[in-house]
Amino acid sequence: MQKRIKHFLHGIAVLLLIVSGIGSANAQSVFDLRFNEILVLNDSSTVDDYGQHSSWIEIYNSAYNSVNLGGCYLTDDLSNPTKFLIPKGNPKTVVPYNQFIVFYADSQPTKGIFHLNFNLRNAKTIALFDPSGTKKIDQLDIPQTQQVNITYGKKIESAQEWDFLALTTPGATNDPSPRITEGEKFVKMDPYGIGMTMIAMFVVFSALAILYIIYKNLGRFFIRRGVAASKPSSGETKTEPKQDEDGMSGEVNAAIAMALYLYQNETHDYENTVLTINKVSRNYSPWSSKIYTLRKLPR
Amino acid sequence: MGTFFDFISDHLMQFLQFTAFANMTIGHVIMISIGLYFIYLAIAKEFEPMLLVPIGFGILVGNVAFAPGYQIGIYETGSVLNYLYFGVLNGIYPPLIFLGIGAMTDFSALISNPKLILIGAAAQLGIFGAYSIALALGYSSAEAGAIGIIGGADGPTAIFLASKLAPELLGAIAISAYSYMALVPVIQPPVMRLLTTHKERLIRMKPPRVVSRIEKVIFAIAGMLLTTFIVPSGMPLLGMLFFGNLLRESGVTKRLADTAKGPMIDVVTILIGLTVGASTQATTFLTLKSVGIFALGAASFVIATFGGVMFVKIINLFLKEGNKMNPLIGNAGVSAVPDSARVSQVVGLEYDKTNHLLMHAMGPNVAGVIGSAVAAGVLLSFLA
Repeated sequence: MQKRIKHFLHGIAVLLLIVSGIGSANAQSVFDLRFNEILVLNDSSTVDDYGQHSSWIEIYNSAYNSVNLGGCYLTDDLSNPTKFLIPKGNPKTVVPYNQFIVFYADSQPTKGIFHLNFNLRNAKTIALFDPSGTKKIDQLDIPQTQQVNITYGKKIESAQEWDFLALTTPGATNDPSPRITEGEKFVKMDPYGIGMTMIAMFVVFSALAILYIIYKNLGRFFIRRGVAASKPSSGETKTEPKQDEDGMSGEVNAAIAMALYLYQNETHDYENTVLTINKVSRNYSPWSSKIYTLRKLPR
Repeated sequence: MGTFFDFISDHLMQFLQFTAFANMTIGHVIMISIGLYFIYLAIAKEFEPMLLVPIGFGILVGNVAFAPGYQIGIYETGSVLNYLYFGVLNGIYPPLIFLGIGAMTDFSALISNPKLILIGAAAQLGIFGAYSIALALGYSSAEAGAIGIIGGADGPTAIFLASKLAPELLGAIAISAYSYMALVPVIQPPVMRLLTTHKERLIRMKPPRVVSRIEKVIFAIAGMLLTTFIVPSGMPLLGMLFFGNLLRESGVTKRLADTAKGPMIDVVTILIGLTVGASTQATTFLTLKSVGIFALGAASFVIATFGGVMFVKIINLFLKEGNKMNPLIGNAGVSAVPDSARVSQVVGLEYDKTNHLLMHAMGPNVAGVIGSAVAAGVLLSFLA
């Protein structure tokens, strides 16, 4: 037992080591958030929830699940990474998959959780930090030649390059072209499904062929092990396998047994009673007690 | 007095407007007839009764005509049926059914003769044959993928993929898949006879060896890891299938396995059958697209059977005498478990009364379940 506990503890220790080794991996988290579009000089473009023309910053969630920005920090000063704390515990800070969130850089944080305590007019850079305030999620160096009412952003969300955009799209994709689904793209290249058939059959065959190879070899291993186990050791005397008197194989016996079983099941009536040696418990209840259900004799 | 009777008659007339008689269309009558036919097939002919009774009754439920706006119908947000249908639309029920299937499936036949696994892959040709035809007929890529999966002959997989790719066709696809699964004994034998010679039908296969528990446990774990590493999008189905199988084979989780293959799969089957049936409201179901789906479904089953049988014949060219496989088990590569394996057995017995193919056919049959889930994952990866 102690040996088992020891093994278990060793296993836990190894697991902890592995987990600590991959601690830096933060897939599907705040580390998938990206700056996507900003408007520095807003003179007559979009308005905020107070009807004001404020500068704004748009962040895009590139993860495959919702991400909560609550607890992260936005700043325009890399020496002060925790300049603006995005409040925790507010459902509005949750950014769904492939969606956007907009913060107004108007130096008026009392207006709400989406209003920052700095503006972009003189900002040279903006950055997003994780809840620890030490790990930078994304950073954007803002060109100083900003144009009035023209946004600066990525042409499509997956791109790396930034440029001035023809359309102002806070809270929406920067790519105005009609969306073509992956399936439509695929069919455009493969209108008769021949490519799909070839790829898919290859994948299905590969998956099952790997299983086949593994099980073929594993089967051989187990058969060999079974044969080795059945061989007598050198000290033992070899005994002849017991022959069936009628020379019938096990399969024939099994078939006869099965036939008898089926025959007996079919010829017997269905019995719904159970024969048991277990004690049948009949707990006392006054509701079922005989003395309360029988009428007493008049005296 | 007269005004009182007017009041009564007005309200009576108003009530009549709410009855199904007032809202009935010819489409509802057709669908109710189909539902009744399904129930007849299930009870009188015993064609897949566990599925056709809930689906057939669901069709009746879904086609009781009603005045919209009272949260009654399956497509009306807030109705009870709509809540139950959530599990279909979001692909929740199919993985739970796969958990039960895994818990009730014995993969011994497959493990003892691993080359049978490959037949399960070959029979998936039906999926992609139907996909190509659907594209040629003008269905969109997502619709064609969802229709093609009917050829996998696996109801939960078809529902899972249709809910992701073409939810608007889900009812037609599910009904088509389950109908043809019930009709496997009718569709497959002519194709099997057409593609095989008399000599091939008499081939005897070696009896499968006994498989140890450790092999079965390894199969469940390795099978899940290997298949889902190749096609992660098939993980909801494959993960649950192998998890259910591990519960069964581990020998230490009997209670969980019993629940998965008993009460749980029964509950989910009832819910999935009833709601899929109810989703066939005449107003949304009776379209030309639905008719096309039924035609493509039949074609996919024929192509799948062709793929499986022909694959065995080709493999036989490379196998030594004595190791050859009977091509009549090729049809079992479609995953209609265990009906298609039973078809192999019945057709085999027609030619040799002592040649029992059932155990051999169960190998490709369960491999077909894995194969169709992998194929669904591939379609999902490319078309979603």
